[in-house]
Amino acid sequence: MKKFLTIFKVEYAQVVKKKSFVIGIILTPLFMLLITLLPAFLAKRDISTPVKYAVIDLDERGIGGQLTKALERYKLDSDTARQAYDLVELYEFEDSERERLDSLRTELDSLVRSKELGQYVVIYPGVEQNDSVLMISKSLNIRTTSRYDNRISDILSGMRLEESNINLPVDSVLQMTRRIDMQRQAPGGKSRDFLTIYFGALIFVMIIFISVISFGQVLMRSVIEEKSSRVMEVLVSSVSPFQLMMGKILGLGAANLTQVGIWVLIGLGLFVFQGALNIDVPETVGEIIFNPVLVIFFILFLLLAYIMYSAMFALIGAVVSTDKEAQNFIFPITMSLMLPVFTLMYIVQEPDSAISTIVSLIPIFTPTMMVARLNIALPDAFTFTNPIILEATIGLLLSAAFTLGLIWITARIFRMGILMYGKRATVPEIMNWIRHK
Amino acid sequence: MVLRLENVNKAYGSKKAVDNLDLKVPAGSIYGIIGPNGAGKTTTIRMIMNIIAPDSGEILFNGKTIDASFKNKVGYLPEERGLYKQMTVKEVILYLGQLKLASRADISSVMDGYLERMNLLDYKNSKVEELSKGMQQKLQFITTLIHDPEILILDELFSGLDPINIELIKDVILEFKKNGRTVLFSTHVMEQAEKLVDNICMISGGKKVLDGTLHEVKGNYGKNTVRLEIEGDGSFLRELPGVDKVTNFTNYYELTLADMSQSTTLLKSIIDKVRVNRFEVIEPSLYNIFIEMASPSREDIKELAGQDAGRTAS
Repeated sequence: MKKFLTIFKVEYAQVVKKKSFVIGIILTPLFMLLITLLPAFLAKRDISTPVKYAVIDLDERGIGGQLTKALERYKLDSDTARQAYDLVELYEFEDSERERLDSLRTELDSLVRSKELGQYVVIYPGVEQNDSVLMISKSLNIRTTSRYDNRISDILSGMRLEESNINLPVDSVLQMTRRIDMQRQAPGGKSRDFLTIYFGALIFVMIIFISVISFGQVLMRSVIEEKSSRVMEVLVSSVSPFQLMMGKILGLGAANLTQVGIWVLIGLGLFVFQGALNIDVPETVGEIIFNPVLVIFFILFLLLAYIMYSAMFALIGAVVSTDKEAQNFIFPITMSLMLPVFTLMYIVQEPDSAISTIVSLIPIFTPTMMVARLNIALPDAFTFTNPIILEATIGLLLSAAFTLGLIWITARIFRMGILMYGKRATVPEIMNWIRHK
Repeated sequence: MVLRLENVNKAYGSKKAVDNLDLKVPAGSIYGIIGPNGAGKTTTIRMIMNIIAPDSGEILFNGKTIDASFKNKVGYLPEERGLYKQMTVKEVILYLGQLKLASRADISSVMDGYLERMNLLDYKNSKVEELSKGMQQKLQFITTLIHDPEILILDELFSGLDPINIELIKDVILEFKKNGRTVLFSTHVMEQAEKLVDNICMISGGKKVLDGTLHEVKGNYGKNTVRLEIEGDGSFLRELPGVDKVTNFTNYYELTLADMSQSTTLLKSIIDKVRVNRFEVIEPSLYNIFIEMASPSREDIKELAGQDAGRTAS
């Protein structure tokens, strides 16, 4: 026990004293902010300059004219967050002038290609019968498409209204037919929108992913280094391989918890002193930080994920002799940790489906998957009547049992592998190590 | 006997690394295991250190089978040396000492003394990677002693050490022995071993060739050996009558004579040809004894003559 504590302390101190530890504490949250905020930032980018557009109207009912008038509204509002539009030309002629249409389109196409024109719209006759409106542009901007779509639909609605002789102003009819925006609530009355749930779950999964990968690799490198510098033989002449392995895993684990603990404290601090710091932490974020069930499960799963994957990294370190060899083995580990990130879109939509449940009970996926599901369910009390709590607890026990088994196997391989220099262990050799006492 | 090996066997696949080996290491002695590379020295030592398990046989320390507690009573220098490059000298000593369950206070109280003796005191707070190879070797030697072990086990003690450092380390080993402690070391450099050991065991191909005190071993071989130092080429020596064998060491020759009574005649005939600086009747060297007993291969002979250490040896 005393030897274990000595190794534990030295491994902890070696990591925490390093500059990279402090840099990691600062850079990791910045990096996560960047990946969550970057898409929104990029989407806003082009709003300042108006988009040049043209309209070809073959319908002869003045739809083109109404469209350009409607889009002028955006022009006036250009200092708000909306995209402004700048009409280059409105062409109105008859559908029979095919040749003119063809040459005009060729001309406009080349303007779009050379980016002198953002997009142009072609309105064919009988547009309301067969949806014959085309928008030609290079970008796939969803907002632009839906803007044209909505405006032209409104114009057509107004026209139909006039034809039907109902004596009401267009605007009030549109008001009457307005669709509602439905809000989803979880049982219990909490409502969060999709993106909040998605990014909330993503951040928790990413914290597990980043700490497990980074600290796991530190562990693996230190085993490889002790092997290649031959310190290993001095170490095993003083301690048992098991003491050494556990001292290293838990020492680095404590360093990992220190790092995450600092983040949690910063998060809590920001939330508690948001008034004084003049920042606005959304209530939905506070709900997560102040949810004790979630936070306790998160810390347990973080630890479990760390120990489970560290055992794998220790095993890799023990059977290879260089960093380069180790890279081949790291890939599947990274992938299994990334799986929840890839599938998060689905899990957020169907957190309780059979697939989500089963996959989250497979030990190597449990920590990240369960944390994602807990984030989505956001349970407010620890009670087994809540299926997610029951499943998370079962998952915790299953993966803890799996981790113990993994440590047992790793310890047997570790014991032999650490004294094997300069050559990678073969599979039959490894199987032999597991079997023999 | 502080340490005993009884019928110890270890095989790697079909190759026997250690073959039915019996060793008796008396308390308070300096015990040398001598043999060429691949003779089974490191395997034997690793089995004593409980790093690898013997296939059969027993290893006893103070009459009891070695267990985990033995690890705290031994100071071990592995054949391949290595320390934490990023740690400071002080940190390495403290860490490795504490892994042997020595207290920080005890380690600190003797650390400076050892560093001073090894001329490393100025580097106490330097990182290990800033030290030269020789300094790192001395530092590693300190780490084997820092917890005041009952026995030192040093694999290939002399490898990588220059003559000055060999002397420094020899002094410490002799002092360690004076305090009643035991030292077991292995080497393939017989010339060096001879100057240090009380007891020896020669092994070759995993088997014991002979063992006993240095005195006994040499006594069994009688005085038919002459140590000769001459100026100039000694290739003619082989042709002289009455000379059975000529062994060429770095700075001298060892002649094995058929009949010791002819030594004066021999000296005369040598003086006729070259200038003689030294002509001394001695006990045979371990090297020659080994050659006679184990009839080793040509490569092994080269190695045992200490050609790697010989260049720097005094």
